[in-house]
Amino acid sequence: MTLEYAYYPGCAAKQIQREADWAARAVCQELGIGLLAMPRASCCGAVSLRETKPAFALAVAARILSEAEAMGKDLVTICNTCLQTLTHANYRLSNEPELLEKINAVLAESGVRPYGGTIKVRHLLWVVTDLVDSRTLKAKITHPLKGLRVAAFLGCHSIRPEEIFNHASNTNEGPHLERLIQLMGGVAVDYVGKDRCCGFHVMLSDKHEVHTMAAKNCLSAKDAGAQVMITPCTLCDMIMGSVQPIAEKTVQRTINLPEMNFAQLLGLTMGISKERLGISRLHIDPVPVLSSIGLA
Amino acid sequence: MTSQTYTFRIQRNMPGQVGTVQSHWQEYKVEAEPNTTILTLLETIKGGQDGTLTFRQSCRSAICGSCAINIGGRTRLACKTHVGAVAKDGVVEISPQKNQPVLRDLAIDIRPFFSRVHGIKPYLQDGPERAGKVTSTAYDQVNHVTQCIMCGCCYSECTMAEVNPKFIGPAALAKAFRFVSDPREGLKTERLQDLASPNGIWSCTRCTLCVDVCPKEVAPMEAIVKLRTRGLNKGINTSAGAKHALAFHTDIKQTGQLNEFTLMMRTLGIVGSLMETGMAIHLAKKGKIPSPFPHSVTGVDELRRMYESLERSPIDVETKAKEAVPE
Repeated sequence: MTLEYAYYPGCAAKQIQREADWAARAVCQELGIGLLAMPRASCCGAVSLRETKPAFALAVAARILSEAEAMGKDLVTICNTCLQTLTHANYRLSNEPELLEKINAVLAESGVRPYGGTIKVRHLLWVVTDLVDSRTLKAKITHPLKGLRVAAFLGCHSIRPEEIFNHASNTNEGPHLERLIQLMGGVAVDYVGKDRCCGFHVMLSDKHEVHTMAAKNCLSAKDAGAQVMITPCTLCDMIMGSVQPIAEKTVQRTINLPEMNFAQLLGLTMGISKERLGISRLHIDPVPVLSSIGLA
Repeated sequence: MTSQTYTFRIQRNMPGQVGTVQSHWQEYKVEAEPNTTILTLLETIKGGQDGTLTFRQSCRSAICGSCAINIGGRTRLACKTHVGAVAKDGVVEISPQKNQPVLRDLAIDIRPFFSRVHGIKPYLQDGPERAGKVTSTAYDQVNHVTQCIMCGCCYSECTMAEVNPKFIGPAALAKAFRFVSDPREGLKTERLQDLASPNGIWSCTRCTLCVDVCPKEVAPMEAIVKLRTRGLNKGINTSAGAKHALAFHTDIKQTGQLNEFTLMMRTLGIVGSLMETGMAIHLAKKGKIPSPFPHSVTGVDELRRMYESLERSPIDVETKAKEAVPE
């Protein structure tokens, strides 16, 4: 079975967190997952657009989903907030026929193909752990983590609200990110804070609080023995990575927990080069930890 | 259903010298069927094994909100939680609610929570915005949040309250929404202005934990999102959070993409951005300064037309509470 998706990396992966996009593409190439470009897709608007222009937000999401539908492919993303925004809109548009009709009328009037409500929105992490044949995945992991202790930082917007993510969290097998860590040969460290907030969405308005959040979560992981942290979200990456050194000053404690996108660590276990995965763009250098297990 | 032995690992808390609490964990074994409630088993322990175990409870019917405690890593109502649903390998870990001072064992001082609720003026006020007529659909927003039983589950899990004790918090903000959306309220705009102050609606992280832990499906964060929309519609847009939100539709109309380069300046202003340079330097070191000129997506004119169409003929897309019918 060929896995092919309409690929929606999100604004952060196109700009500040470009390395997550590079890693996603490299990993998908290895696994034979096709990522098809969506040239018309705009920013999803995040929760911000839902706040300022709620109807426009639904129309923008419908236009993105419609592009995937026209391609005949489900949509895949690597940003939790894009995932939540598009899943939330898709949930409403699929369950409220009158709403879909009204939004489609706006699309049609603006020269956009109406949305038929047939697209599934997925995280690339779910595709890798749920849909790629586990033997294929294991065969590709040529440089396993050898028991490396990895903190999974799940990221709010791929697990909540349960109402819209039921299909994703409805397994007894534990969070996708922890399952992936085990598949890569690592140990998923259990720690308080793994399902809490990075603070990204109040980064500019409540700076001090965001620093405290980042520090608390990273320290909790570190104290539980984590050697590296991974997230499935380009926004969590930005906080746990680039804000971590600033947060250290706020809480006056050294943290120094290397943090990276899940696709970057997965890529390393597949033997993909550090350069292709953008490892040098990380704020806390993971090379000392990774070289101890022959990974970098 | 067959009964089995469960281990209750309970955090015991004893008040020490002023402002301090001595904590330790104590284990109790109880025999129960998986669908027995945690509250029943806490009472079993208190009645049969250890009369000193302190916890709050009253109605046993998920309506008084007294028995909210941290069970298996989440704040839940003990009377509404089945032991089988939360035990991990037969062990249930129980501790008090978070974000408020502990008095003894599982009982907390609930005054900080209620002071936030009282702070939003939880009563109707007379004023110029009071509606003369109340239509049959006028309560479809009010009814969204009136299920709240003030149990404090959301406040206990709130990721912003954890780092900022001044944050008004989910339950009080949901309560505030109840009054802002009530047609009989006379001072809606004044309320929205107050709520947009620091530690108010714009400090919510949107982590969505309050939505998932609420035992009554109040979805406080959805109420906070609606409060933000109502405030912006009244032109209350001077806070950093409001400016940040407003940047999105401007960018989407112009290029279809978020302009991360100028986003910071628009949110914080020039002075604020300069103060933020700690972050900018960190990003610059890694070659991570975004382009000030993002490419336009294909068909950006469609986005403009969609926007203009909705400005001309707005659509109400707010979620509505289902009509209440007697059971």
